[in-house]
Amino acid sequence: MAQVFPPGANWLAKWSILFAILGVTLVVGVASAVYWSPVVTQVGVHKKQPVPFSHQRHVQGNGLDCRYCHTSVETSPFAGIPATETCMTCHSQVLAGQEMFNPVKESWDSGQPMEWTRVNDLPDFVYFNHSIHVNKGVGCSTCHGRVDEMRLTYKAETLHMGWCLRCHEAPEKFIRPKDQVFNMAWEPPSDQLEQGRKLVQEYNVEVGQLLNCSICHR
Amino acid sequence: MNKMSTAHKSYPEALRPVGELIEGKQTYESITDSITSVVLERPNPPGWMLMFVIGGMFTCIYGMSLVYLFAAGTGIWGITMPVAWGWAIINFVWWIGIGHAGTLISAILLLLRQDWRNAINRFAEAMTIFAVACAGQFPLIHMGRLWVGFFILPYPNTMGLWPQFRSPLLWDVFAISTYGSVSLLFWYLGLIPDFASLRDRAKNRFAQLAYGTVALGWRGSARHWFRYEMASLLLAGLCTPLVVSVHSIVSFDFAVANLPGWHATIFPPYFVAGAIYAGFAMVLTLALPIRSWYNLKHIITARHIDLMAKITLATSMIVVYGYAAEAFFAWYSGSEMERTMMWNRIFGDYAPAYWALILCNFVAPQFLWIKWFRTNVYGLFLICQFVNVGMWLERYVIVVTSLTKDFLPSSWGTYHGTFWDWMTYLGTIGFFCFLMALFVRFVPMIAIHEVRVTHHKMTGEHH
Amino acid sequence: MSHYDNQGPSVFGIAAEYDDPDQLLKAARSAWDAGYRDMDAYSPFPVHGLAEAIGFKRTWVQLTTLVAGLTGAAVGFGTQWYATVVHYPYDIGGRPLFSWPAYIPVTFECMVLFAAFTTGFAMLIMNGLPQPYHPMFNIDSFARASSDRFFLCIEATDGRFKLDDTKAFMEKLDPKPIEVSEVPA
Repeated sequence: MAQVFPPGANWLAKWSILFAILGVTLVVGVASAVYWSPVVTQVGVHKKQPVPFSHQRHVQGNGLDCRYCHTSVETSPFAGIPATETCMTCHSQVLAGQEMFNPVKESWDSGQPMEWTRVNDLPDFVYFNHSIHVNKGVGCSTCHGRVDEMRLTYKAETLHMGWCLRCHEAPEKFIRPKDQVFNMAWEPPSDQLEQGRKLVQEYNVEVGQLLNCSICHR
Repeated sequence: MNKMSTAHKSYPEALRPVGELIEGKQTYESITDSITSVVLERPNPPGWMLMFVIGGMFTCIYGMSLVYLFAAGTGIWGITMPVAWGWAIINFVWWIGIGHAGTLISAILLLLRQDWRNAINRFAEAMTIFAVACAGQFPLIHMGRLWVGFFILPYPNTMGLWPQFRSPLLWDVFAISTYGSVSLLFWYLGLIPDFASLRDRAKNRFAQLAYGTVALGWRGSARHWFRYEMASLLLAGLCTPLVVSVHSIVSFDFAVANLPGWHATIFPPYFVAGAIYAGFAMVLTLALPIRSWYNLKHIITARHIDLMAKITLATSMIVVYGYAAEAFFAWYSGSEMERTMMWNRIFGDYAPAYWALILCNFVAPQFLWIKWFRTNVYGLFLICQFVNVGMWLERYVIVVTSLTKDFLPSSWGTYHGTFWDWMTYLGTIGFFCFLMALFVRFVPMIAIHEVRVTHHKMTGEHH
Repeated sequence: MSHYDNQGPSVFGIAAEYDDPDQLLKAARSAWDAGYRDMDAYSPFPVHGLAEAIGFKRTWVQLTTLVAGLTGAAVGFGTQWYATVVHYPYDIGGRPLFSWPAYIPVTFECMVLFAAFTTGFAMLIMNGLPQPYHPMFNIDSFARASSDRFFLCIEATDGRFKLDDTKAFMEKLDPKPIEVSEVPA
């Protein structure tokens, strides 16, 4: 018997190769889609917090400025998470008796700070400084999105290194006048590139240095 | 055939080729039979069993040392400043060097129309692939964080970064992966007609289906052979510069750095010669016992052994020239650093390694001038072991002597491998033997269709 | 086997079996000279001149190699140029961004990689492989075509193919075949 395979084997042999190629493409495609999706990047995903804090309520509702709570954002690397005392300036009266407010109350009573879950977190090998960004015309909403519209806080951008680089290689695309940094509703003008270039010059942004490894990895 | 023999009459007696390319009275069928029976009739000679079991054991040891390495980190090896690469790069270069004979035999000797390659190319190619498989693991495991190994490839990543295309280490990645995959392709294409022979001769249904699948339905059509030969020739043409490029690029890992003892223009050619030298020694190390276990001495004949021994001798002389040139450069450069390095290499802390290397790579191969050592399998096997050890020592001397004493005396140090260095290294040797054992068991270890061509040339009409 | 109609669907062709490649070559030439065109020869190793004898003189494998090699080199070089000059220009001590000598190794390896794989796959695809089933395997002795037998098959699609005439022609071929048999489709 010389014939080892039935005639259908020809069909099978060719299609199985095609399917193997498609299969590998599919696996790679799905894996990379998942890797870039919110499942991994956590963009737009709410984190569980001790208290269901709403930025929308505080910023849009009450008209608080970012710096009312994030006090050190203009002067230090860390924007600052408000102390319980800051909350209590209003909440010693407002909502004071409500159950959902209990964790803040407990913190006030015991003197132990609140343990919020970080939403925008960078790896430890990245040196990031809020003050330099804020003082050179990078607005809050450029990286954090419309926090003023968030009922529960989530990450607006991936914070991937490649995402940082979009601005570090061409800051004129994102830079805004300093007086607009805390304006959450600021939109780039139609001639942003032109305006941006002027601002980059005016604020002495050293574009040549922004891509150096040691700017962020020190 | 006769024409071939008379052409050598002018050589001195001691260097005249011995024997024939195929010994005894053979037919196409007897050639097919003696090679396919190894796979289909499954004799288990004790030598093979030993290779399989010991190889398997050391593969397990390799697995364990890897687990410990990933759990504990590369600190389990002797590497530290100033010697950060240590045994991992020594073993890497040693293995990749060994992995050069296969492509040399299949590609360069094909282009040079050396018919004697036909009986040994399959075997040497398999050895090449397994050696490259062992070599390729060392840079990866040396990272200690295997799971980020893919960072070295250019792919759309979240960091918006690219690998450093100007670094020899990256060239290495491209060279080794191209070399490994092209060797695998060349090997497989060569196997297709032989898998067809196995399919047609297998009695067992499972073997028929298995070999039939990998034979892709090869039927020996003249049109197919025509394209097949064209493709083989093209691949040989592509592999010839490839094989030269690979070890040149490996040598750039050293030569592009400006460390005395590394920064030398002779490195690429001398590494390539060393690679061929090491590769032939390893082919002989494996071919000598295996052809005897499976009674294949009529196909891998004394003639093949003699020719391989001569290539080993010739490449050994090139390597020795490299050693001499290095010493000469150090003196002639007038550079204090170079001279100190060379003095230190020859008479310093690691002098025993240097002199052992001279013994293994210079003194031992000289015996191959004598016909007895080229035809006596025991003598030749012994010399090949000297070569295998010598080529390892060569890389040891290059890596360790230059790194332990670099420009600043304050950063001088010493370096020795640890127990786990040994286990990892011996483990890859075991892994290599294990793969070779599987190869001779499941795959025709000699390119049957090419030996038929040799047979045809020896017996058929000429046209 | 009984009689088949001329060019009926149930016969693939008629095969002559030899035990020597040089005889096969002569037989193939005779069949070509007799006017047969649709035929193939089968041998356990490449026999020089055999493809030409059955009128197959040209292959395009080498063209795919050339195109793929150039593509590979362009991809390799282009990637490095794009990465180091366009996408992430990085000034290191004022050295030139377009440092083409450093791109050569990767360019070369990409060229070989593309060319080699294209050559291999083009050869297989042009040969119509994988094709595990083929009518030739229907003759029992064809199992030796991968060892020590050499076959010439005139196929039923040939314009001059007539079952009885062609069979008679092959039986009278010089050199004389060991056996002439019909190949069921």
